[in-house]
Amino acid sequence: MPSVCLYFEVHQPVRLNHFSVFDIGSANNTYSTYFDHKKNRAIFEKVANKCYLPTNKLMLDLIRKYEGRFRISYSLTGTFIEYCELFMPWVLDSFQDLYATGAVDFLDETYFHSLSGLYDDLGEFEEQVKMHRDMMKRVFDYKPKVFRNTEVIYDNRIAKKVADMGYQGILAEGAEKILGWRSPNYVYKPANANLKVLLRNYPLSDDVGFRFSSRQWKGYPLTADKYAQWISRSDGNLINLFMDYETFGEHQWTETGIFDFLRHLPGEVLKQGNLDFATVSDVVKRFEPVGDIDAPWAVSWADAERDVSTWLGNNMQVACFNELKELGKKLKKKGDPDLLYTWRLLQTSDHLYYVSTKGFEDGAVHAYFSPYEIPYDGFINYMNILQDLKQKAEQ
Amino acid sequence: MKIAMLGWEYPPFKVGGLGTHCYGLTHGLADKGVAIDFYMPKTKRHIKSDKENLKVIEVGETEVFPYDRPEDKELGGKFFDAVYRYNDLLVQKVKGKYDLIHCHDWLTMKAGIQIKEKLGIPLVITVHSTEYDRAGWIYPNQWFIDIEREGMQKADRIIAVSDFTKRVIIEKYGINPDKISVVHNAVNPIEGEMEKKNLVLFLGRLTLQKGPEFFLKTAKKVLEKQDATFVIAGSGDMFHPLIKQAVDMGISNKVIFTGKLTEEEVKHIYRISSVYVMPSISEPFGITALEAISAGTPTIVSKGSGVSEVLKNCFKVDFWDTDEMANKIVALLRYHPLHTTMQEYSKKEINLFTWDRVADKTKAVYDGVK
Repeated sequence: MPSVCLYFEVHQPVRLNHFSVFDIGSANNTYSTYFDHKKNRAIFEKVANKCYLPTNKLMLDLIRKYEGRFRISYSLTGTFIEYCELFMPWVLDSFQDLYATGAVDFLDETYFHSLSGLYDDLGEFEEQVKMHRDMMKRVFDYKPKVFRNTEVIYDNRIAKKVADMGYQGILAEGAEKILGWRSPNYVYKPANANLKVLLRNYPLSDDVGFRFSSRQWKGYPLTADKYAQWISRSDGNLINLFMDYETFGEHQWTETGIFDFLRHLPGEVLKQGNLDFATVSDVVKRFEPVGDIDAPWAVSWADAERDVSTWLGNNMQVACFNELKELGKKLKKKGDPDLLYTWRLLQTSDHLYYVSTKGFEDGAVHAYFSPYEIPYDGFINYMNILQDLKQKAEQ
Repeated sequence: MKIAMLGWEYPPFKVGGLGTHCYGLTHGLADKGVAIDFYMPKTKRHIKSDKENLKVIEVGETEVFPYDRPEDKELGGKFFDAVYRYNDLLVQKVKGKYDLIHCHDWLTMKAGIQIKEKLGIPLVITVHSTEYDRAGWIYPNQWFIDIEREGMQKADRIIAVSDFTKRVIIEKYGINPDKISVVHNAVNPIEGEMEKKNLVLFLGRLTLQKGPEFFLKTAKKVLEKQDATFVIAGSGDMFHPLIKQAVDMGISNKVIFTGKLTEEEVKHIYRISSVYVMPSISEPFGITALEAISAGTPTIVSKGSGVSEVLKNCFKVDFWDTDEMANKIVALLRYHPLHTTMQEYSKKEINLFTWDRVADKTKAVYDGVK
C-alpha cells in the first residue's frame, strides 16, 4: 500500500537590526545590537497565532479522530525553539502534546538552519547537528532517526557525513537532475553511503505550498478530495509531501480555505482505500532502496533552479558567505562563547536569502519573505555587521 | 494621425531634459506612423529632421529658456513679455489640419489653449514639472501656477511623468484624476565604460529643489569613514553659497565645483564616477539617475523622485537622511561586490526605459482623445 509522508519545516530566523557603517566598531553587546528583538518577537507572535497554534490544534484533533492513522513529521530549528522558550512556551507545549500521541515524528537538522553543510570543512556542520540533537533530547527526550538539511540542501558529501553520524534516512528534493527519468515516489540510497533518501514529490507538494490560492492555476480551487485522488493515482509506493509549516495560515491565509483543506485531507486520503500515512521513521523502516542517487553538486527545494543559487547566486552573497566562513576560524581560535553564538545566529541561511537578486518569478517570493526593500540593503546591513564582528574577533 | 507639438528647445539646441524628451518622443512617434509638426523658437542653427513625417518648424525668436525665473536679473523685466510674445506668435503660425495639439509644461500652455479653441481640436499636455517642484515647495510663483492650472483644466488629457507628479496635479491643482495618465520617462543611454576614479557625483542645477546642500552634509559624514572626492557639477543660484558651505565644513579640499559642463563633459564625468547621488527635495522624474546608471554608475536617489517609483536597482533614501545616504555611499565605495552587482543589474534594467515604450504609451493617450 503506497504511503503518504507529510513533513513540515518549522523555522523562524533571528532578523537583523538596521546597522550602519557608522555603527561598525561602536557596538558593545553583539546580541542586543545586531538583532532586532522587538521585530522578531512581533513576527513570532503573529505567526504563532496565525499558524503554529491553530495548526497544531487541528493536527491534534485529526490525529485523535483517526486514532493514529494520520501521521506527520516535523523538524523544528534551534532558533524556533529559542523563540518558543523566550516568548511563548505554550507553543512548545502544543508540539509536546502532538509528540505524545505517538503519531508524530521529528527530524534533526542544523540547529541554526545554516549553510554549514556547504563549508569546505564539515566540522561546524557536525557541531550544529549535535547541538540540535542535544536540544531534541532535552525538549522531547527523543533521538531523531532521519535528518533534513537546511532547505533540503543535499549532496554526496552531506549524505556521507549524515550516514557517518548514525542517521538512517535523509530528505532531498525530487529534482530531475538527480533522478533523471526515475520517479521520486520510491526510497533511494546515496551512491556513496548507507542511508535511505526520501525524495520530495515537488509537483504535489507545491500544489499546496505555492499554488493553493492561485486563481490562475488550472487546479484552482484545490479541494481535499480532488487532491487525494491525484495522490492516489500516483505511481510508486511513497508520496513525499514536504513543505513549510507556515503554509497553513501564514503563506496561505485562513481566508483561502487552507484549514478546511487540511481538515478534510486525512479522511479523503484514507477513503481512497489504497493509501495510508507514514512518518519519516515509518518510511525508513518500511521501504528498501530501489536505486542510487548521485549528487556531486548540491540540490535543494528552493526556487525554480532547485540548487544553492538562492543563497550563493551573486557576488554579494558569495562575499558574505566567504567573510562568514573566515570569521569562524578566528572566533573558534578566540573561544569567546558569546561571540561564537552570535556568529552562529548570523549563519542562518535567511540572511543570505535576503541578498538574492533572482529574477521576477522567484524574486516575487523573495520579496514577500524579506525584511528589506531591495537585496542591496540586505547586503549592506549584513556586511556591516560581519565587519563589526570581525573587528571584535581580531581584538 | 497628425499632431502639432509645441516646444521650446530641441537638440542640438537645448539646455535641459525637456529638449531631450521632445527629441526622443517625436522620433519614437514618427516611427509609429504619427506625423508631427514640432514648433519651436528660431535658433542660430537651423534644425532639420531626418524623418519624413517629422517636421521642425521654427517661429520667431526668444531670449527665455524653460528653466528661467522671472526674478533673474539678466532678463530685466523682459521675462513675461518674451513668454507672451512667443505664445502669440505660435497662435498665428500654427495652421492646417491636425488631429490634436500637444504641449509641454507652462511655456506654451497659453498658445495651446488658444489653438485648441481656434482649430477646435483636443489638447494634450505633458507635465514634466510643476511650479511647486521648481520652487522646492517654498514660495511658489502664483503667475506660473495660474498658467499651469488653466492649461490642466482646459486640456483634454494630461500626461504626468510620474505618479508623484500625478498626485501633485490632483492635490495642488484640483484636477480630475481620470484625465491624467502616467508615462514614465525614457533615457538615451551613455555608451562606453571608463575606469572609476573614486568620485561621488552630484549633477544638476544648483537650486534648492535639487538638494545640493544635503549632498555636502553627506560628504562630510562619508569623509569621516572613507576617502573620496565629491564633485558638484552644474551651475545655479546656490553656486557661491555652496562653495562657502564646503569651506565652513572644512571639506573644501575634497569637493570640486565644476560649474556648467558641456554635453561631452557630462558623459565623461558620469563614466568616471563611482557613485551618483540625486538628493532632490522634489523631482518629478529624474532622468539623470538613468543616465548615470547607463554609464555604469550605481545610483542613490531621493524617495521624492518619480524615477524611484519605477527603478528597482538603485538605493532610495529620504533627501534629509544624510546618515543613510552616507552609509550607502561608504558601502558602495568599500564593498566591491556590491558595486559590481548593482552596476550589472541596474544597467540591465535601464534597457526597459526606451523611447519606443514612451511613444507607445503616448500614442495610446492620443488614441483616447482623438
